[in-house]
Amino acid sequence: MGHEEELDAYRSQLLESLNRRPTIRGWSDPIQIYVNERRVGELEGAGVNATLQVQCVDHIETVQLRAEDGTLLGGLTAPECGYRTDRVRISADTVELSVHNMAQGGTLSALFTPAPSFWSRAWKSIADVADRVVARHPEPAYGMRMVAFTQALLALAVVGLVTDRITTGRTSVRTPAPVVQTAALSPAPVADMAKFEQQLDELARMQTKVDDALGSQQKGVVQLQQAMAKLSSTQESFESNVLTVREEIEKRLETVGRETDRQTRQMASRGRVEQEQLEAAIQNLTADNHRLSKEVVSLEEYNQALKSKLQTAVASASKAVDPSPERLLKMADSLQATQQMPFLFWVTFSDGTSQESIDKWVHEMQGHKGAVSEGWQEVRILPPAVPADRFLEQVRGEKIVKAARISQ
Amino acid sequence: MGLTRMHNTLSKSHVMADRMATVNRLEEVVSTSDEFDQVVSQALPILLDRATGYTKRFLRETGQWSDDIEHEKFALRWGSEYLERFLVCGRSEVPCRPLFLFDSLVAKQHSKPEPFCYHPDLLRPLGRYLDGLVARAVVSRDALIALYHHSYGWGAGDVIAVTGLNGLESQRIYKNFRRWRESGWQRTMDEVGLTKAELAELGNQQQRQRQRFNSDAERLIRVAQAHYRKSEPDHYPCLSRSQWGDMFTQGYGCDYRIWHLALCLDCMQTAWGLGSSGSLTGEKPRLELQVRP
Repeated sequence: MGHEEELDAYRSQLLESLNRRPTIRGWSDPIQIYVNERRVGELEGAGVNATLQVQCVDHIETVQLRAEDGTLLGGLTAPECGYRTDRVRISADTVELSVHNMAQGGTLSALFTPAPSFWSRAWKSIADVADRVVARHPEPAYGMRMVAFTQALLALAVVGLVTDRITTGRTSVRTPAPVVQTAALSPAPVADMAKFEQQLDELARMQTKVDDALGSQQKGVVQLQQAMAKLSSTQESFESNVLTVREEIEKRLETVGRETDRQTRQMASRGRVEQEQLEAAIQNLTADNHRLSKEVVSLEEYNQALKSKLQTAVASASKAVDPSPERLLKMADSLQATQQMPFLFWVTFSDGTSQESIDKWVHEMQGHKGAVSEGWQEVRILPPAVPADRFLEQVRGEKIVKAARISQ
Repeated sequence: MGLTRMHNTLSKSHVMADRMATVNRLEEVVSTSDEFDQVVSQALPILLDRATGYTKRFLRETGQWSDDIEHEKFALRWGSEYLERFLVCGRSEVPCRPLFLFDSLVAKQHSKPEPFCYHPDLLRPLGRYLDGLVARAVVSRDALIALYHHSYGWGAGDVIAVTGLNGLESQRIYKNFRRWRESGWQRTMDEVGLTKAELAELGNQQQRQRQRFNSDAERLIRVAQAHYRKSEPDHYPCLSRSQWGDMFTQGYGCDYRIWHLALCLDCMQTAWGLGSSGSLTGEKPRLELQVRP
């Protein structure tokens, strides 16, 4: 055989295998379950309502059901996220598959439902028919009434016949001698016989009618049962479909609702956090701005003081008669000396302030204590960089200082 | 002669027209599972050729292709495999356009790291035989149990003893063996495209050079087992002898023992003798390939 023929034969064989109907699974053979082409377990084939629950770390992409011989019996492809359910028919049995893929991993639920036996199906049909008839006619069933009526009719006919026979019997007892009777009775039995025959004929006709009525009644009941069984199975499948759809819709709505709530909450909390951060930033900026404006004011004041000092110095210099360098140097020295003169101010301290704290505070200011007069402490420091008023305000802001002033 | 040529041309154009119509139908939306079955069942040859073509292209692009019958068969085999999965799983995707769904399924398979077990030696008859056997064992329990027979020549009783199974499981093993002999083996051989002549040649090789034959088989079956063991559940790794011992003594992990020991030559040697309560004390098992079931 050439390569081409061999390949063609192989291809035909594969196509034939694909076309072949799946192997009929043995009654009790388990069904192997594969998720993403990995075996995850099996469903007991003989078990009623056997189930298998599988939780996977990865998303479930495919689910396959296989027989013991490896035949692919059914399966489904799952969505990346969300639910998918499917009912796989295997001969007369059913496997209900339900896959739920989440953000992380997925779950599979498989439920095996074996086909109901003949007797259970028959019993179910009868029960269904009875249920439906009772539900439709609360009084005794229509068919039952017909049967009862027919039976009563038959009983009446039999009673009539028996009464007739008894009446006839009594009449014959009253007849005199048998010999005479033979002669005398000869026309009577013939008439009776004809009457009996007529009655029997009527009875037979009635019986036939009753039989026919019963037969047609039975046929009607059978047809009714069949129709009811069909209707009930249709209704069942419809109800189960409706239920499945409803469950799926509920699940989806629930999922969507949860997701929306979660997103809304996340957005709201994120908004709150951002708002708080923004407020804090605004407060910081306001405080910084305030501080900077104060500093600018103080710097301007200081600048003004410096300018005035400079003007004074320039005026003194211009007034000088002898603008010799020695004099200018002296003036500069005197200005320096003025600047280096200690700055005096008076403070009172808060009640209970220890001497140690006072000394420490004075030391931190690189100052020296002077005289004490009426509770006011004289303090000498190097001239402050800021104007006197501002300096005093700063001093008053100190924790241990009660009051401060320049003059005694 | 001219008439015959015209007739051929006409029939070819008919075939082409039919093919185009089928492809067009596959591109249209199908709404129900029954409709899906109907449309797809009429287009099996087209879909098989399509999947085979995709597989060839994948092999070419990954530098694994050669123009020979082995590679052609390999591509056909995997095309058929994809088509089988599509036939079963595609029904759950309705409403869909079958052709596009099929293309996406094949593309998804080919986007996996190792979509199939490829090794040049596995394309020759012995390799194809072993590859087919192990690949089938992954999806068929009958083939899995039969793998003990094909690897070591054991019967059902030996398998039960080695894996330490209980009574209930034992019955199942006998059924697995029976089904495999009746139909499973032949079906597997058909699926991998092994002809009667090739099988007969394998038998001859086994008779003539048993040692070399088994040594080659061991080398190749290790390649196949390493690939297909990925289809085991995640929690079935190789174990030490003491761990296997615990499992056998305490009687748990029945599935674990059956699956892993069939698909791992090393673990079979490690766990040798644990399941038989000391009755299997002989030499550790070596691969003794059995071609027939």
